[in-house]
Amino acid sequence: MRVTANKLAKAYGFLWALRELNLELTPGECVALLGPNGAGKTTLLKLLAGLIPPTSGQIRLDGEDFSRGAAALRARVGLLEPAGHLYENLTVRENLAFFTRLYDRNSAAPAIDAALAHVGLGRRAGDYVANLSSGMKCRLSIAKWLLLQPELLLLDEPYGVLDGSGVDLLEDFLRDQCAKGSIVVMASHHVSRVLGLCERAVILSQGRLTFNETKRQPWPSFDQAFSEFLPHGGA
Amino acid sequence: MAKQHRGVNKRKGILGALALVAVAVGLYWSLIVAPPDAYQGEVQRIMYLHLPSILIAYLSYFLVFVGSGLYLWKREKRDDILAHAAAEIGVLFTALTIIEGSIWGRPTWGVWWTWDARLTLTAILLLIYVGYLMLRSLIEDEQRAATAAAVLGIIGFLDIPLIHMSVYWWRTLHQPPSILRPDKLPWENVHPSMLTALTISFIGFLLLYFYLLSLRYRVGEMRQQIKALRLERGTG
Amino acid sequence: MTLLRQAYLLLCKDLLLELRRRDSLLTMFFFGTLLLFVFHFSFDLVPERVAEMAPALLWLAFLFTGTLGLAQLFQAERENHCFDALLLSPLDRGALFLAKTGFNLILMVLVEIVVIPLFWILFNVRSWNLLPQVFLVTLLGTVGFCVLGTLMSAITLRARARELLLPLVLFPLMIPVILATIRCMEEVLRTGQIGDAMHWLRLLLGFDVIFMTAGVLIFDWVIEN
Repeated sequence: MRVTANKLAKAYGFLWALRELNLELTPGECVALLGPNGAGKTTLLKLLAGLIPPTSGQIRLDGEDFSRGAAALRARVGLLEPAGHLYENLTVRENLAFFTRLYDRNSAAPAIDAALAHVGLGRRAGDYVANLSSGMKCRLSIAKWLLLQPELLLLDEPYGVLDGSGVDLLEDFLRDQCAKGSIVVMASHHVSRVLGLCERAVILSQGRLTFNETKRQPWPSFDQAFSEFLPHGGA
Repeated sequence: MAKQHRGVNKRKGILGALALVAVAVGLYWSLIVAPPDAYQGEVQRIMYLHLPSILIAYLSYFLVFVGSGLYLWKREKRDDILAHAAAEIGVLFTALTIIEGSIWGRPTWGVWWTWDARLTLTAILLLIYVGYLMLRSLIEDEQRAATAAAVLGIIGFLDIPLIHMSVYWWRTLHQPPSILRPDKLPWENVHPSMLTALTISFIGFLLLYFYLLSLRYRVGEMRQQIKALRLERGTG
Repeated sequence: MTLLRQAYLLLCKDLLLELRRRDSLLTMFFFGTLLLFVFHFSFDLVPERVAEMAPALLWLAFLFTGTLGLAQLFQAERENHCFDALLLSPLDRGALFLAKTGFNLILMVLVEIVVIPLFWILFNVRSWNLLPQVFLVTLLGTVGFCVLGTLMSAITLRARARELLLPLVLFPLMIPVILATIRCMEEVLRTGQIGDAMHWLRLLLGFDVIFMTAGVLIFDWVIEN
């Protein structure tokens, strides 16, 4: 799937969250979305996910306009909220069964069991989500998207709730997705970590895209762009 | 842009003047030229205000419906402004209708209020309008408020014929027909002078309505322009 | 996946959640019963007048009870941003409308199945043989209530003073249903059959069909974030 954002802009009331944003994403890419708080990262992710409509500009997925999103396009996009998008009073298994059926994916018990085993929740299949820790909820989210296989996967600050093995799990999952041709866009404050994973960095500052380059060694332009918004320098 | 508005303002001024003239002529015809009603006497004259008011109250809700439908379809701000303006002016004319009906009712039936079909329906229309306006004011996010109001505008309009039927059936099957028989058309057995008074009055009120609507619409437009300006100056 | 299958999936999910916590169902049931008690004290009903007033009292009780249910309708989706999860998915918004309407309908029917016979007992109404017709009329009215109620519940989701606003916008629109249901029930209790009140029944049916259709079509725009 190719993703193109053209002159994208979003305003909330009197404030512009995003201004004149142009971005292109190609299959198999892993993109790091960086920037200070309030720069517009979450807004961009929500726009790409189709959750909110842009104030102006458009997003195209494989050439098709995403704003009055057809269900078919929405089925191919995913947003991984670390501890969200799960029903508290359903069990782990029931949540996965519900979402896989909703997306018309394989909802058979073996597939769900395999996904749960992969993320280390095999023994918690019958537990209510309300009884899980946030780290485990994040693992459940990973299992969910593992089953749903989106072509565009967006992540908003996933590192916060994960422990060491959880982080490895997530990064392996994302690398697999990219290898399969999916696009991954991750917003994070853990710069060194996310740059280890991604091959492109995009920096947002006050709603504008100020930096968009592929990773290379050494990367003086990145160091400069990054230090401009972080007073204490890069990671 | 200023020149454009001067032109528009001039047209509005003419509309306002015409409205004033038409209403004045209508009042003259209603109060002086037309003869008093054979049965009801002088008090019947309030019908020259009451009937146009109610028709315009319904016309206004139709405009709310049109604005709402267009807004949901095209998402153009001006349709939302139209719907909101029509709702505000509409509620004014609806309240007016009820007051006029009440004033007519007191000498005629001896009571300030009665649950006859017409008054009841007007009261219900008022409640729908009020609900619409309250909905708008209680939702913070402007876009959500516009969408919610548009949905209510459409659903309300679809409901009005059903409300009509149910209220008329309720009133006519349980009580003897009231003086205001819904089946009696205004131009049957009516003195031609009365008909003229009614027509002129109606035209006057219609012009007045559109004049007020255009003013209120302009206010809505200006609010939008201010918002746009603030947005430009904002975190730009 | 078709509209109906999606609606069915969502409905099952909501019923499962309700089965677990039974928050809405129990509250609605007890509130409905409480209202019957309040009515009994408020209206000093002699046995001859009970049949006359039964439809109105019953329907008032269901109206207020149903409004309670409506306020809770989207509660499950408000936790954990699950609403976003649904909007993100290939879910047809019309399916969400059907599912929520159906869910509220099932809750209300369950409450009515208990409260109507309870009313018959508490108020000493004789005509037990007329219960099926009474249920039928109540069902049609409840469908109308749930359809409009879901729409109004959805558009007032983010409003301030929501618990007050919801009845304010809903009740005037419900007048055809209120009139039709009560008149039908009166006719049934008086003569034992729908008979002369047939046109009211048709109005009810028309109302249900019109707004069910409108709801499915319009819900896309209601929910656009």
